[in-house]
Amino acid sequence: MAWLVPAVLFALPLLAALGWALAGAIDPVAWQHLAHDPALRPSLALSLWVGFAATAVSLGLTLWLVTRVHGQPAWARLERSLGALLAVPHAAFAVGLALLLMPSGLLARLIAPLANWAAPPDVATVHDPLGLALIGGLVLKEVPFLIWNVVAQIRPVAQAERLRMQLQAAQAMGYSVASAWWRIVWPQLLPRLALPLLAVWAYGLTVVDMALVLGPTRPPTLAVLAWQWLLDAGEAANRQGAAAALLLAGVMAAGALLAALGWRAARGPLLRRCVRGDRPARAVRLAATPVLAAGALLYAGAIGLLLFVSVASVWTFPALWPQQTTLDAWVLVAGSLRSVGVTLVLGLAASATGVVLAVAWLETTPAAWDRRAAPLVFAPMLVPGVLLVVGLYRLALALDLDGSLSGLWLAHSLFTTPYAWVALAPAYRGFDPRYAQTAQALGRNSAAFLWRVKWPMLLAPIASAAAIAFAVGVTQYLSTQFVGAGRHATVTTEALTLAAGGPRGVMAAFALVQALLPALAFGVARALGRAQARRFGAGHEAGAVA
Amino acid sequence: MLELVDITLAAPGRTLVRGLSARVGAGEVLAVMGESGSGKSSLLAWLCGTLAPGLAASGTVRLDGREIQDLPTVQRRVGILFQDDLLFPHLSVHGNLLFALPAGERAARLVRAEAALAGAGLAGYGPRLPHTLSGGQRARVSVLRALLAEPRALLLDEPFSRLDLPLRERFRAFVFERLRTMGIPAVLVTHDAHDIPPGAQRIDLAGEGGDA
Repeated sequence: MAWLVPAVLFALPLLAALGWALAGAIDPVAWQHLAHDPALRPSLALSLWVGFAATAVSLGLTLWLVTRVHGQPAWARLERSLGALLAVPHAAFAVGLALLLMPSGLLARLIAPLANWAAPPDVATVHDPLGLALIGGLVLKEVPFLIWNVVAQIRPVAQAERLRMQLQAAQAMGYSVASAWWRIVWPQLLPRLALPLLAVWAYGLTVVDMALVLGPTRPPTLAVLAWQWLLDAGEAANRQGAAAALLLAGVMAAGALLAALGWRAARGPLLRRCVRGDRPARAVRLAATPVLAAGALLYAGAIGLLLFVSVASVWTFPALWPQQTTLDAWVLVAGSLRSVGVTLVLGLAASATGVVLAVAWLETTPAAWDRRAAPLVFAPMLVPGVLLVVGLYRLALALDLDGSLSGLWLAHSLFTTPYAWVALAPAYRGFDPRYAQTAQALGRNSAAFLWRVKWPMLLAPIASAAAIAFAVGVTQYLSTQFVGAGRHATVTTEALTLAAGGPRGVMAAFALVQALLPALAFGVARALGRAQARRFGAGHEAGAVA
Repeated sequence: MLELVDITLAAPGRTLVRGLSARVGAGEVLAVMGESGSGKSSLLAWLCGTLAPGLAASGTVRLDGREIQDLPTVQRRVGILFQDDLLFPHLSVHGNLLFALPAGERAARLVRAEAALAGAGLAGYGPRLPHTLSGGQRARVSVLRALLAEPRALLLDEPFSRLDLPLRERFRAFVFERLRTMGIPAVLVTHDAHDIPPGAQRIDLAGEGGDA
């Protein structure tokens, strides 16, 4: 019955929050107000467009890049860089990207000499009405996430070997590598990417933090509109916001259902195409390397620009470098050390909680139970944040934790636990059970086995899961604002508040701190992983079954 | 006819195979034996065109008189069978076989696939998914799939080693009978001398820096 502890600690508050969120959103009057609000239709249409376009482009790019790059020297570099790309928080990246793309941004400054621009061009490159900047930002963040999921599927030794031999067998039958991927590998992998794709769709449809920085404003996406209503002082507006959040959840579910039905209908014809036997000659292929390089440059540019903007005092257009620099922004950041401290403490506490709950579940339950637990575990990833925070706030109120750090710890832990579980489960479940048998045969009890054998051997994946959970905790925005009742500032809330029109330098400084904290955590996890690899020898995969 | 002329394979710091030459006629088998790490599977990978980076190879491979060692894998028409059957799990038995068959009218291709299944005692198994078959049935389907791709030579990378003894004997007979009937030269890598059919040529690789 030990499994009940992690299950109850995670499930009870989550179910309570979900229940309260639904209860708060079911108010006929609020739905009437929502239905008659003139902003609803354009905002919902915009949200649908952004969510669909970001998901479709991210998926297309992922399929193309993996097909094109897997097996090439660039693949190893891509795999190595995924951790760093994923560690960049959405909000910090959005701020950096906005500074890069805005009419007075670095890209415009680079083009200015060629286009003879003496002043920033009068083009809405950020907050554009079609949401293209937001879609671009989402795609740049989601492609590494999807590729990371593909890698998780094909990286374990047995799967990698099977993939290699399947590709070899298909080539031996006359198919090119790309044909083999499209006909053999993707039909097997795509169903396993359903949940990550659902997460991408849900995030694109309901994102608030990136949309505040990059998205359209007149009207904004429905998630932003719901967020504004939820923050409104009037209770009627709050209820309308909750209704809008529930509407988004319904739209998300309907979209997922449509995609599932579409896949079911298309699967047969697609598989028939896969086996029609033609061996197409190699077509002209676009090189993937420039695309990868462009992506890397955008990431480096967005984050690097945060540093420049944070120290720029006078930086007139179209100068490429600031004319005068100042440390005023950093002095301000240093002056609000409490927000950095709160971010760190909350991030560490929530990630530790997430890892402990994940380990407790994985240690006390058979692997077959994961499938049953998955819907609940994935709920915080899939239920729109704007909806879930409504329930979390009511939960915090009921527990008298609203506005307190304990309430924030609880709320953040509900978001970090699923990520810790997802990150840790493959290594934990793949741990060779013969080690336990060996330890028992040597007369060691379970505790000695866990502390002296299993957890040390799994140190790298545990550290990696903790780093991911920490990054998730650090980047919490909606729950921090709502459950914390605005009383506890973190670097994330500071950066996003300033993005609404505050001094750019301070905004960039907070965004950079937000980006650096997870990077630090990933750096520590990576160092631990390397140290472990040195101790256990190359090729060791954390005690995985060969 | 498959001809190997003066084949040398080297890993960093050591030679795996030196000066290997052999001629394998239609329907004949060249058996390659040797310890683990002696270069058996690397030899097959090179013949197939998928030698791992870091290994170097030289020599000439002629298939029906045409040099193929510099051709990409897809143009060599050299089939390969591994220890695992490697049936594509998302495709039915028919799907796996159709994948191998050259393009053409679907009904005609299905007839060919069904005829191949019937010849292997698997009539009616076409619509089934691979995981519903027994190990022996899966092994036979994998051979049929390799042969339906119409290879001009077949590489066998210990394809019998995972089968239990009675099944293994039947499967060996099944494979070699088809190779003989279809006149396909084959290179068989194995640890077990019992896997080698009567009349096959045999080469032992010394391994660990030794010469062939």
